[in-house]
Amino acid sequence: MTLELGVVLDPALPPATMAALAQRAEEAGLDMVVTNPGDLDPWTTATWLLGSTKSIPIGVALAPVATPDPRDPEAGYPSVAGRARDSLDLLAGARLITDPSAWTLAPADPSPADLERAAAANLPVVVPASTEAEVDRLARLLIEHRGPRPTGPRRTSSVRAKRLPGIAYDEVPASLAETAVEPGDPAYRTVRSTYLRGGRPGLVLRPTTPPQVADALAFADRHRHLPLGIRSGGHGVSGRSTNNGGLVIDVGGMNTIEVLDTATRRVRIGPGATWKQVAAALDPYGWALGSGDYGGVGVGGLATAGGIGYLSRKHGLTIDHLVAVEMVLADGSIVRADREENPDLFWGVRGAGANLGVVTAFEFEVYEVAEVGSAQLTLVVPDIEEALLRFGEMAAEAPRDTTVFLVTGRPRPEGSVIQLYGLVDSPDPEVIVERLTPFASLGALVQQQVILAHYTDVMNQAHDIGPDGHHGHGEPHARSGLIPGLTSEFARDAAQLLRTGDVYFFQLRTMGGAIADVDPTATAFAHRNAAFQITAMGGGTEALDTAWSLVQPHLEGLYLSFETTRSPERVADAFPPATLTRLRELKQRFDPTNLFRDNFNIDLSEMNR
Amino acid sequence: MTDYGHDLLFGTFVTPSAQSPQKVVDLAVTADRAGLDLVTFQDHPYQPAFLDTWTLISYAAARTSRVHLAGNVHSLPLRPPAMLARAVASLDRLSDGRIELGIGAGAFWDGIEAMGGRRLTAAQGVTALREAIGIIREVWDVSTRGGIHLDGEFYQVDGAKRGPEPAHDVPIWVGSYKPKMLELTGAYADGWLPTLEYIEGGLDSVPGINGRIDEAAAAAGRSPGDVRRLLNLMNVSFQPTSRALLNGPVDQWVEDLAGLVLEYGFSTFLIGGDDPAVAERFAAEVAPQVRELVARER
Ligand SMILES: Cc1cc2nc3c(=O)[nH]c(=O)nc-3n(C[C@H](O)[C@H](O)[C@H](O)COP(=O)(O)OP(=O)(O)OC[C@H]3O[C@@H](n4cnc5c(N)ncnc54)[C@H](O)[C@@H]3O)c2cc1C
Repeated sequence: MTLELGVVLDPALPPATMAALAQRAEEAGLDMVVTNPGDLDPWTTATWLLGSTKSIPIGVALAPVATPDPRDPEAGYPSVAGRARDSLDLLAGARLITDPSAWTLAPADPSPADLERAAAANLPVVVPASTEAEVDRLARLLIEHRGPRPTGPRRTSSVRAKRLPGIAYDEVPASLAETAVEPGDPAYRTVRSTYLRGGRPGLVLRPTTPPQVADALAFADRHRHLPLGIRSGGHGVSGRSTNNGGLVIDVGGMNTIEVLDTATRRVRIGPGATWKQVAAALDPYGWALGSGDYGGVGVGGLATAGGIGYLSRKHGLTIDHLVAVEMVLADGSIVRADREENPDLFWGVRGAGANLGVVTAFEFEVYEVAEVGSAQLTLVVPDIEEALLRFGEMAAEAPRDTTVFLVTGRPRPEGSVIQLYGLVDSPDPEVIVERLTPFASLGALVQQQVILAHYTDVMNQAHDIGPDGHHGHGEPHARSGLIPGLTSEFARDAAQLLRTGDVYFFQLRTMGGAIADVDPTATAFAHRNAAFQITAMGGGTEALDTAWSLVQPHLEGLYLSFETTRSPERVADAFPPATLTRLRELKQRFDPTNLFRDNFNIDLSEMNR
Repeated sequence: MTDYGHDLLFGTFVTPSAQSPQKVVDLAVTADRAGLDLVTFQDHPYQPAFLDTWTLISYAAARTSRVHLAGNVHSLPLRPPAMLARAVASLDRLSDGRIELGIGAGAFWDGIEAMGGRRLTAAQGVTALREAIGIIREVWDVSTRGGIHLDGEFYQVDGAKRGPEPAHDVPIWVGSYKPKMLELTGAYADGWLPTLEYIEGGLDSVPGINGRIDEAAAAAGRSPGDVRRLLNLMNVSFQPTSRALLNGPVDQWVEDLAGLVLEYGFSTFLIGGDDPAVAERFAAEVAPQVRELVARER
């Protein structure tokens, strides 16, 4: 048996003595200090003791925050208490234990038999102490009766106290135990949230090899009662790559980028690489692989869904250059899929990969890209309806080397501010200027930046994620749709949508060109004839949905990556009937029990109903 | 010329950034070591980029030994007054009498509401703060017998217990700008704690504001000297040449501050900017000279 031993401090002690005893307990190697604050405020006292020590867990019995009542001068707010808890973890490391059932009390001056009896509960044993001599005596007892310490990462009682019910923390597979992160761990704040979403998962597993992914999936399989998120770069919008109380399998560590063959320009990329890193690795060869418009996005989520970006009109979607994947399926098997081997799976991964398994490596054949013109224009337009219509004509008629996206938000009294982000795949300044000139005439130009750059420079504008991870808060609300052409009716209704004021981000991504060269049945991304992809983001679901209904009649399908609604209708919007039928067959074969369900879930049971 | 004759206090006004919690604590430690009198922290409980200010103060109190600490200023709508009073008194006991209390009626109502707090109009806020100050003082007053009772417009207590008693007489400083709130400050508070950059009309309007506080104090049977005048200065820097108030060489800082004492009645200066080097110079080079100059002039 492992004995964990600590002290309980008497509330009558002078504060300076309390701090000195806590420090002594820490130095002497005891496992915990419990404070019984008497008249004093327990939160304040515990925080002060945490500030007085460095590493020892501090216990204090804390009543849960009651229902707030603004008229009651004693009643705190759970929201504020939650922030306080997060702050304390940031300041002191996760060392506070507030649940009194997480320790057990032994009498003062205990005999070894007393200790043994108390320790039978398998909880830290705490003993009243009011002098340094008493603390030292306990420390000697601990050394004599400690017993073997468990192997593997040792988590203190304060870390264990933050474990959530329903997760078999002690059964995390050995291959993952070292890198797993649970709520009490210091690294937790760096992994709990994603770019756009705040979360509090109960456990984050971080496999770095396909067999480890298989181990993680086996563990997840035993936790079907909890949400499961798969994470690569953490930029999911539709994909719930964090959650509350569930599991996350984070393959962000699998981020190598390797050139396999220079003749065919074949590269192998881990799902955890970001598109910024990919662009930087390809640049020295004079190559590029079009991704999206933001270099911070991860390979894993984008390359299993589509990839509509600045080079799409010239070179197609990102998935159109995928030649093979390696993935781990729900049953733990590690497979390769390409045109010859598992061709069905290979078809499905290109557009609906999140439903089928965890991709652990992507192989692409990339292309040569010389210098490009990269443009950012900010314009003010008096009439957004007219501006949208004209933009639609220009963007669709532009040659394939030119891809321009438009972003706008709530109209202001002086007009709408529109931002155009574009790329001209030509190293010739004259061509670049010629291509962009019509766009610059859309309104009053208030800012412009046009540079001759490498594709990697364009991707490099994104911030690095860094060791601190993502810090998203709350939930994003986004709707996505595709239109076959930008008609005057669409422009009218989109302007109406913007005037509701309920959409703060509205984007048109120009498609067409090489995207449409691919047969709609060739991949699970079937909407090949779309001219524009439209995204709207708003502060709340209801208001956003109401605004969105204004443009709904114009839509023909959606691109799943920008849609946060979860319903079977949306799944049907993402996948036209023939595609969906085929995907359901694949789901039946590769994930019949629906382990993978965090992103546009093809739920067989729901659809059969 | 208004000088209320208070002893001078020098300190900092810290942003409780959650991005680098250790740096924030280090700012308190620097203030402590440098010999500043006060380190104070903004309180915006609805701001996710910030640490919880009360937790930060409790933690920082343990990491420091001489400096006094305070919220600057606590947001009443999310800091229920009795709870705040007990927390302040507890920490005052634990830290051997080093905690002061800054409080305001609340700003950023959208944020307050999003956290579950109650939205009040400006006029309601004045009444709520007046009731809250009464409750806080009652909690601290353990010499009166019986529980605390108040059937207020915004707070209701029926027999709540008193205590704990703080280790020292904790002053209540109010962040206020508008006439009604200034009158409340004069009548009930121990200090007026504005941020210079937020005073409408800037320094020019301070004599008028002082007058309003003084009148309210007199009307409540108090003396103007019962209300300390504190000042947050966000925009400060040491510069080789003189640019603006507290943006210049040490000599200029000294003159600026002495002027603020002797002509405007301020006696506590809390500087923003979160720069430990500036705080150290403020303590080592500026504060002693201001004290000396003011002592000579008074
Ligand atoms: C700022 C921003 C800009 C964007 N710009 C574009 C753009 O221009 N073009 C475009 O096409 N998209 C764009 N997107 C959408 C983006 O492609 C998706 O959100 C994508 O899922 C993000 O991938 P990730 O690995 O970073 O995300 P994560 O959050 O890690 O994953 C999201 C989801 O993808 C699935 N997934 C992740 N890893 C794997 C894996 N290894 N195997 C199988 N499934 C996996 C899971 O379902 C997961 O929930 C953008 C998103 C953001 C936030």
